Amino acid sequence: MQENVVLQVNNLKKYFPVESGFLKRQVGEVRAVDDVSFAIAQGETVSLVGESGCGKTTTSRCVIRAIQPTGGEILYRTEAGKVVDLAKLSMNEIRPLRRGFQMVFQDPFSSLNPRMTIFDIVSEPLRVNNIGSRAEREDRVAELLKLVGLRGEYMQRFPHAFSGGQRQRIGIARALAASPRLIVADEPVSALDVSVQAQVLNLMMDLQDELGLTYLFVSHDLSVVNQISNRVIVMYVGRVAEIGPPQALFKDPKHPYTAALITSLPKPDPFNRSDRQIPEGEVANPANPPSGCYFHPRCPFAIDRCRQETPALEEIAPGRAVSCHRARELQLFEQVEG
Amino acid sequence: MTETRLRDAMPTAIGTPPDAVAPILQVQNLHTHFFTGEGIVHAVDGASFAVHPGKTLGIVGESGCGKSVAAKSILQIVDKPGRIVDGEILYTYTDKSGRYRHENILSLPSDSRQMKSIRGGEISMIFQEPMSSFSPIHSVGNQLTETIRLHTDMDQRTAREAAIEWLSRVGIPNPARRVEEYPYQMSGGQCQRAMIAMALSTNPRILIADEPTTALDVTTQAQILNLLQRLQAEQGMAMIFITHDLGVIAEVADEVAVMYLGRVVERAPVQEIFRNPQHPYTRALLTSIPSIEAQPRQRLPTISGSIPHPQNRPPGCPFHPRCPEYMAGTCEQKEPQLASVGTNHEVSCFLYPGC
Repeated sequence: MQENVVLQVNNLKKYFPVESGFLKRQVGEVRAVDDVSFAIAQGETVSLVGESGCGKTTTSRCVIRAIQPTGGEILYRTEAGKVVDLAKLSMNEIRPLRRGFQMVFQDPFSSLNPRMTIFDIVSEPLRVNNIGSRAEREDRVAELLKLVGLRGEYMQRFPHAFSGGQRQRIGIARALAASPRLIVADEPVSALDVSVQAQVLNLMMDLQDELGLTYLFVSHDLSVVNQISNRVIVMYVGRVAEIGPPQALFKDPKHPYTAALITSLPKPDPFNRSDRQIPEGEVANPANPPSGCYFHPRCPFAIDRCRQETPALEEIAPGRAVSCHRARELQLFEQVEG
Repeated sequence: MTETRLRDAMPTAIGTPPDAVAPILQVQNLHTHFFTGEGIVHAVDGASFAVHPGKTLGIVGESGCGKSVAAKSILQIVDKPGRIVDGEILYTYTDKSGRYRHENILSLPSDSRQMKSIRGGEISMIFQEPMSSFSPIHSVGNQLTETIRLHTDMDQRTAREAAIEWLSRVGIPNPARRVEEYPYQMSGGQCQRAMIAMALSTNPRILIADEPTTALDVTTQAQILNLLQRLQAEQGMAMIFITHDLGVIAEVADEVAVMYLGRVVERAPVQEIFRNPQHPYTRALLTSIPSIEAQPRQRLPTISGSIPHPQNRPPGCPFHPRCPEYMAGTCEQKEPQLASVGTNHEVSCFLYPGC
């Protein structure tokens, strides 16, 4: 693992059993995450993007070991510089490491306990890790609230007194309390209004610059992902379709699924209402995926090989990797000179 | 105007055909309030907008702006403790004897026969959560058939055939078999298609679509938007499309009404809204949408503060605490009114004369 890499995920797999009948016999499995690999360097934001059922949330939950992966490695560099495989450690061994990786959740309404004060919520990571005295924690919470743009006096209030955007700031303050290195943010702005969404994205970028944080960002929204990411991983039915820097990926996608996602996006431009080519059909069922490339039933470029062979993720340019048999020959979007 | 006086109001015109550009539905000064234990929430507080035949009115706004409540007010299906306290909803239609009528449908009692035939028949509605809008214990086919029978005089068998026909028109494969299925057996996209089939099966003249694609994935959203536009062209119906997504507005709307805290703050044709926005809120909203064409890792312009709780509605112009153009002594004192600033373009902001 390279010196500056904080997290390296190798061949991660998470299969959920499908059980049936009184004896709960296993009759199948849902391959929620199937052979996903990526690495995140210190200070970088890597986003997982895709439609529902693509495995982006399951991947992020495996990374913080909220669930046990079925296979693969999750290599994490601790603050002391030691590399550990989170996939293999027991819960007891992981507990002391948890300070280093924290989570920000999607729904700011259900992710804050309504019966706890803001002080209790934000200081909880400190309390469970036995950090500081009560007075020190109070100072730290005031500092954290200021950091996320809220007033220190707010710490005696309860969550119901705050708007969605303010609550998400509180959620971020809680994640930052124990000074983590890695933040896993699962759709952190999806529940917010556009005018508030931009505030929270700006805040997350500012905090990253200030504190040198590393983000694993999960979202279904390509525009949000473009805003915040250094690198984007497009997932489809548990597998990686394409990896690359956001602008390269969105201007010149190499996987037909990435191209389909981009053309499906409504464009905020009423002067250019195009007759767009929208992919037909629906996202494949991960409990019963199609043969070969999972995207082939919806892919306008599918050939026989796509129906039979699963494409491997291949590097086609520095920083760009695609899992498509025809990635090298296809030009999906017209390229503008210069 | 009080409720009792509204009830007494009579049709305003009978027998004169409307000219081509006259609106089919006109909402004027609508007030819908919620009488809660903690006080009155002014969910819709003087909203006015118009829908033209065959055209799409996009209503855009953030949460709490009253866009859904305004739509439900049209059909008089506002949930308790909400009540329509003032306003007019003028609907132009042809009655059974072929005469043109121009009537304030708010004056019709909610459970009157006429309102029941308008609701779901003349004006139908689709919702954000297709899965929870269907009854989970009846098959999709039975629910569709029931709707069709309620609004036409078809017998059971013909209505069922019509239901299958509609499922096929909205792009559900194997409609004859799928008609037996229950909502849980369908995916979100399929369920929304079935919902659209149900709403259109009565040949409505106006379809109200309340965030119909918000719960769907982008590729499914694009399919549903295309479907709605195709069916609108085929049926020649008008549409009220409610969304928080300006991208969707740009794709589907002809006219746009921007709402903020229960009021329409700007009204204009869609191209005008995007090219020449006048209200500071519309402008701010347009610049704060993230785009996939933007340079990554750049800060976005934002609107300061957040939407106030509807119970703590600011005095004067409701946007003034967040407004970059705030003028002390004016904006917090008086409420601006919609005034014309160009062809078909209205704004309610003190920056412009006449407001």
